[in-house]
Amino acid sequence: MRDRIRRLARLGSRLRGPADGAAAAARVAIPDPVAARVAGAAAALDRRFPAVSLALRNLSRQRLRAGLAALGIVIGVFAVVALGMLGTALQTAATEELGGLGNQVIVSPAAESGEETLDGRDLAAVERAAAGRGTVIPLKSTGGTVSGGGDQTVAQVYGTTNPRPLFGDAPGVPDYHRQGALVGADVAGALDLRVGSQVTIESTTYRVVAVLSPQSSITPLRADSAVILPPDEFAADGPSQVVVQADSGADADAVAREVRDRLNARERRVSVFSLTSVLDQITEFFALLNGFLLAVAGVSLVVAGVSIFNVMLMTVSERRGEIGVLRAVGIHRDQVLRTLLVEATLLGVAGGVVGVVFGTAGVVLVALNTDLPLDAVLVPTNALVALGAFAFGATVALVGGLYPAYRAAWEPPVESLRG
Amino acid sequence: MNGHGDGDADAADRVDGTEATVDDGATLGEVLGRHTPRSDAGRDARASAADLATRDRDTGPAIRLANVTKRYEGGGGTVTALSDVEFGVAGGEVVAVVGPSGSGKSTMLNLLGLLDDPTEGRVELHGTPVAGRSERERTDVRRETIGFVFQDFHLIPTLSAVENVRLPTAFLPADRTDRAIDLLERVGLGDRLDHTPDELSGGQKQRVAIARSLINEPDVLLADEPTGNLDRETGVSVLEEIRDIAAGGVGVVAVTHDDLVTEYADRTVELVDGVLDDA
Repeated sequence: MRDRIRRLARLGSRLRGPADGAAAAARVAIPDPVAARVAGAAAALDRRFPAVSLALRNLSRQRLRAGLAALGIVIGVFAVVALGMLGTALQTAATEELGGLGNQVIVSPAAESGEETLDGRDLAAVERAAAGRGTVIPLKSTGGTVSGGGDQTVAQVYGTTNPRPLFGDAPGVPDYHRQGALVGADVAGALDLRVGSQVTIESTTYRVVAVLSPQSSITPLRADSAVILPPDEFAADGPSQVVVQADSGADADAVAREVRDRLNARERRVSVFSLTSVLDQITEFFALLNGFLLAVAGVSLVVAGVSIFNVMLMTVSERRGEIGVLRAVGIHRDQVLRTLLVEATLLGVAGGVVGVVFGTAGVVLVALNTDLPLDAVLVPTNALVALGAFAFGATVALVGGLYPAYRAAWEPPVESLRG
Repeated sequence: MNGHGDGDADAADRVDGTEATVDDGATLGEVLGRHTPRSDAGRDARASAADLATRDRDTGPAIRLANVTKRYEGGGGTVTALSDVEFGVAGGEVVAVVGPSGSGKSTMLNLLGLLDDPTEGRVELHGTPVAGRSERERTDVRRETIGFVFQDFHLIPTLSAVENVRLPTAFLPADRTDRAIDLLERVGLGDRLDHTPDELSGGQKQRVAIARSLINEPDVLLADEPTGNLDRETGVSVLEEIRDIAAGGVGVVAVTHDDLVTEYADRTVELVDGVLDDA
């Protein structure tokens, strides 16, 4: 019976809720509906999350102190976000720049073999090594003078039937190259060439079938200053080099190793050029640099945690009597603990949000004002950096508040009430 | 249950009560006199003070110290703060505890308030020993049965009067704002509901503290120097308030130096060096 009545009463008070809110608003005579809504929201917070509501008020008591404690977190999170994002951006930019390089293996006749071209056995060995790991493109190559439109320039001349994997798929680049010339962006620029122009190489004239897009990444082929002809145009029979465009850095590594094993076991027939290991070292260096920068920034966050610890310790010692009263009037230890932890965590959350915003803005500003591409900043990894820094800031604040909150909540109320 | 369980009737009663208090000219006594029956009827559908009073008459003292001794281990050896104290307070009774400082008054209040454990003897609530309960249970019992009023009020400075009054229930699911407003109106602070403690006078603060102590319809009200920081006139009004609460069936124990308090008490006991004397 008693229980049922209690439930009824609770229902009643819930029904009365909105009316009460209105009455409260009328009592303090705020005509502004916005202010009334704010008051309503505060009341809702009060009911739903009393610990949050109490913590917010407690923080508002010592605004300067709370602000300074949060500032510590702001600086720490800012440092982590700025350095972390910048590190990621540098790494991304560098990887993009060096990207193609890492996945290419270039096999050419070794100088000591005296050969100018690779024979069918070499080619077959490379193809076996690269099976399932990437595309094999035999290239004939020579240097030459290219003229067109009354001008001339020196270019690297390649011969291949399969230009797409190495030179990109600008409009007009054929799947199977059997006639005409593809010209690199720089050559086209120097000679003012476009599709349909005539270009003369070693006294033979070709029609330009495509102009290659400028290369964003560095490759040993220097495609920008190259002209690509069908291989039949070359006097030599065999390819002067074979390029393996591997699917990944690891594949490139494996191909390079296997080609060496197959062809260079007895005598050095071919030279195998791969930048994968160099790229690995560069990546490793960036990872190390990032780790170091993040560690430095992390230390500043830990210092911020110590300042939160200190502030919370001060706060609970000032509010000792109050906390004793809370305990005396029937607030549980864990409820007091929760309120104090929310207080500390709110400092971390507020500081974290501001730190993330400032840090991100800072890095974006740097990107806008330097050569660092904005694309390299706005990568998913950097969202993780921001989230991680925020979580770290909030956690540091929570941990900083743990001991002071525990000490205050677990002190016998008799002691705290004594003053 | 006693015919006042209906939520709507409660609400109507409260609105009624609100209107009645806006009357400024009435003296505190008049206001209280007018309000006592009303707020009694308007109590929540839980055990009212009147119920408790009935219960108390059946079972003896609401709270009792049974041959209690409390010793502290200090730097200079053992200090006996209370020695074999036998004390009880029944519902509706106001007991003043007097004695010089260091005589064990605070210790006694802490034991009655379930804030501390006796070294020997028992603390009984309605005849049931309190010992052996977990901290959690003790906190619940404290919230449900005991109201505290302190010498320096101990209000939370960031909370308004209403919020201070309902503070003991802040973490409970039910919203006790209505009752808090009711109680503040009853102690004559109907026009100070949203004031924070620094906007209130000493007497007003103490009345907010009294309202807070009543939010859960306690069986016992423990007052530590309730008039200690108040001038005589304000002290009188606070003591009248306390008498009025006792009239509702609550047992009151007031620890004091103030002779004024003893004038308002049904009986006065004296503590000297931890030994209780009926004065």
